[in-house]
Amino acid sequence: MPIIPPNGRTMPKRFLGLLLVLPALAVIAFLFILPLIMSAVGAFQVEGTFGWGNFTKTFDLYTKDIIFTVMIVSLSTVLIGIASIAIGGYLTLGEHPVAVAILRWLYRWPMFIPFIVVGQILRTFLSKNGMMNNTFINLGLLTPLDAVSFLDWRGIVIAFVWKQTPFVALLVAGAMASINRDTIEAARNLGASRLRLLLEIVVPQVAMTLTVGLILSFVTMMSVLSVPLMINAQSPTMLTADIAFRVNSYGDYGVANALGLISLVLAASVAWIYLRASLKERA
Amino acid sequence: MKKMSYAAFAVVFAALPVHAEELTVATAGDQNMVDYINQYLGPLFEKTYPGNTVRAVGTGPGDAGSQKILERFDAQSAAKSDKWDVDVAVVHEKFVGPMVTKNYLDKYRSDIETGKLVTRANAKMALGTNVDGYVMPMFNSQTAIAYNPALVPNPPKSYAELADWAKAHPKQFGYNGIKGGASGVSFVMGWIYAFGGGDANTLMNGPFKEDETKKWDAAFKSLADFTTNATLTPGNAGTLDLLSRGEIAMGPVWVDMFYSWQANGQLPPTMKLVLPAPGMPGQPMHYVMPEKAAHKALAEKFIALATSPKVQAEGIVKRFNWYPGIDADNVKRELDDTTWNKLFVDISPADLAAKGKPFPIAPYNTAILEAYEKSVK
Repeated sequence: MPIIPPNGRTMPKRFLGLLLVLPALAVIAFLFILPLIMSAVGAFQVEGTFGWGNFTKTFDLYTKDIIFTVMIVSLSTVLIGIASIAIGGYLTLGEHPVAVAILRWLYRWPMFIPFIVVGQILRTFLSKNGMMNNTFINLGLLTPLDAVSFLDWRGIVIAFVWKQTPFVALLVAGAMASINRDTIEAARNLGASRLRLLLEIVVPQVAMTLTVGLILSFVTMMSVLSVPLMINAQSPTMLTADIAFRVNSYGDYGVANALGLISLVLAASVAWIYLRASLKERA
Repeated sequence: MKKMSYAAFAVVFAALPVHAEELTVATAGDQNMVDYINQYLGPLFEKTYPGNTVRAVGTGPGDAGSQKILERFDAQSAAKSDKWDVDVAVVHEKFVGPMVTKNYLDKYRSDIETGKLVTRANAKMALGTNVDGYVMPMFNSQTAIAYNPALVPNPPKSYAELADWAKAHPKQFGYNGIKGGASGVSFVMGWIYAFGGGDANTLMNGPFKEDETKKWDAAFKSLADFTTNATLTPGNAGTLDLLSRGEIAMGPVWVDMFYSWQANGQLPPTMKLVLPAPGMPGQPMHYVMPEKAAHKALAEKFIALATSPKVQAEGIVKRFNWYPGIDADNVKRELDDTTWNKLFVDISPADLAAKGKPFPIAPYNTAILEAYEKSVK
């Protein structure tokens, strides 16, 4: 009988385990990490040599767009936060069962609609003679002369908030449903109003989930091209539209890569806030 | 006898692959370009040359679509493939130059019968690059200013008049900037031709001189002012949309799109076109064939059919309201006068000849777009 050394089996086993994750690792390495590195390197390449040329040009032409993007996405994130707290809060604290059921059924719908379709819908909805203004005019709330088109930064914000709120609300409502109801009941017994209940008892307990949802939304919104393209591909516009323009009109991947790297830095800075917060919580 | 029939089978089988070829046609442009090949040209070709099939691949609208085809060629060239996977490509004018310079294309025009019917200068020079022999124009398209006669009884005849009109009627002029489609780009190019301070002909024909790009400051300053007074529309279709809803009274559009929208009822029949002096750019779409196309003989037959007077009349002019790619007289013969004249309702052939301009050559084109990005914010 052959004698197997005590650790003779563990070596092949470890090897086997590595082999099993290898396809997944290879996919990540070749389809994600490698292109990321190539684009990061490409951002510093100007006609074959390394330099800051792409970034000089980026800041020269697109500083306003970078600020615009950050403002739009931040504002949208704040509004999404408020809306999802309101929805989640009503689902948790609402006392009218029918209203709660209707809201629960309704609020998730936008999640299943692609961004490009949102852009398309809002393009006809928000324009000067679009459905929204026409409704206001017919209700007598607005005169035709005062009607203005919302197809600018406001349109982008509306599209983002409309599309991303359900996602964050879903996370937040789930977290709210699982918090200990005793704290809510106790506060209620002491006479706290529902708003105070929401803001001082419920929201602090779901703050972490809310942050995660908002950060994921922030990163998603940073990467959306269809909405700015459909609603407002003017100047200033969002970085994604600029990246597409650099590639399509000039075939210029250098500046496009530089713009990509800048949006990566913006997204990463938000993720860093999240990481710090989660580390603090664990400590 | 048995041997004979085997031999016959062998011959038939040997001959089969020759007949059952699949031609791959990659086309840039909107969905209507893919539809044109799938619904009209493809079936016609399959009927004319039975046994062969045509596969149309749309690569997306605008310059982005042509850029994708160019990158596909780049990749196959870098990989040193012997047979490329595209037999015929339809690309924008701007991308033909790089394709020719990089030696990707076959010089096929003299090989096909219809090659002789090409007369326009833009089949020889494409934005400053000599492409003579490498391209067959599929069609020519033109931009112009569309206006609503109910709101603008006397349309401006020149860019200067247009600028004055827009000042007097804030937000009534709409265009799509330069990032939302080529009709806006074309309007900007026309603005530089009109107010650029240099010689517009140098911009169109070259040579490229750095000094020339310094002469546009005043033009861009006035364009920035003009733009704050204008409505910015979302895309080529966006301008037509806003026009049809009465949100703007005037805006630059592609002539073929304008007529197609009118024919579909998406735009009121009362809308009209005007080509302001000194003119606005238009561009052809070109049929090109890679040097290493897998089905060269068939590809030549396809392009010859597509550029025959009959197909140009029926497909290009009648169905899509494009200006023909080959010499107009040959196409006109195939059509009745009413159909032909539809092309020239608002813009006469004389207007078109005098004010239909090419886009600036590639380096000026890029310089103008970047200058726009820098100054019109």
